[in-house]
Amino acid sequence: MSDSKKVYSAFLVLVATWCAGIILAPLLEPSEPRISSLLYSFYAPICHQIDGRSLHIDGAKLAVCARCSGIYFSFLISLLLYPVVHRLASPAIPNRRWLSIALLPMAVDVFLNVTGIHPSSILTRTFTGICFGAVLPFYLLPPLLEAVTQLQTRLHLRGGLLYARKAQ
Amino acid sequence: MLEKPNKLRVALISGVVIGAVSGIPGISLINCCCCAGVWLGGLMAMYLYKQQFTEGMAPMESSDALILGLMSGVVGAFVATLTSVFILLVFGPVEAEFVKSVFEKFVERLAESGSVPSDLADQLKDQLDQSIRDSARISGIFGNLFITLIVFPIFAILGALLGYAIFRPKTPPQTTQAQ
Repeated sequence: MSDSKKVYSAFLVLVATWCAGIILAPLLEPSEPRISSLLYSFYAPICHQIDGRSLHIDGAKLAVCARCSGIYFSFLISLLLYPVVHRLASPAIPNRRWLSIALLPMAVDVFLNVTGIHPSSILTRTFTGICFGAVLPFYLLPPLLEAVTQLQTRLHLRGGLLYARKAQ
Repeated sequence: MLEKPNKLRVALISGVVIGAVSGIPGISLINCCCCAGVWLGGLMAMYLYKQQFTEGMAPMESSDALILGLMSGVVGAFVATLTSVFILLVFGPVEAEFVKSVFEKFVERLAESGSVPSDLADQLKDQLDQSIRDSARISGIFGNLFITLIVFPIFAILGALLGYAIFRPKTPPQTTQAQ
């Protein structure tokens, strides 16, 4: 397995674990309330977790709100599909205007809601979150893979220098 | 070729910004949107770092973003905890009450304009009460530090990597692809 694939797999596992925690919090509520409570506490600093603004499973809210859920789960799906549409070893990053376009629906939704022109709904929050989360891996994964490769090269070089010094 | 700029100064500045945004009650609500404050802190770190590059220096690399994001996130987690403890010790409940009253007025105004349903406004108020109660407990302080030490570096790294994707040099540096 190449280094790029290893880093990609590790990142995928991390993101999948993060998303699993979001779903497990409501699922474990009836059987394991303490673990469920811990999971809710873990996600509390990063999301308001307001019941009326969250998606529910079996009547219990997810560990993050609908917009955050949209971002994280579309990020995960996009990350899963990434090797199909983009070569892992390629450091190419899409033009930044696509990021602005993906962010635009969320910005419009928040603006319309705050100004009272049009209240946002669970559907609009989830959809705008999905739009943003789906494009993020294309901006984050290439520099991440490149960064790990650079750090590995530096460590190899340092290790080689140390070995050479010891040999002398 | 000249050496790259020092990362520590930039990491301290962006870490303090992350910590201040996350530690001051009221402003910290920005983190309720997927840790936006921490993301922006990581992004700002890359912007500040890019500004320090001059001609003749080695180009900015994505590994710089990874390290800078990690450093900013760790500094931010400590600063956020220290800020909230400082505010609690110095101002005590007075500051908390002030922030609470300002926040409640803001939520009420949103509820009156129809931007926020009245039941949601009540939930927001309850949430702020809960966070003020939690921040006053020792276990709450250490628990919060533990969580932020995990979460802040992750999101600051993501912010810094996004910053690299936005502010990167036109021609990316050549890297050796270890297979």
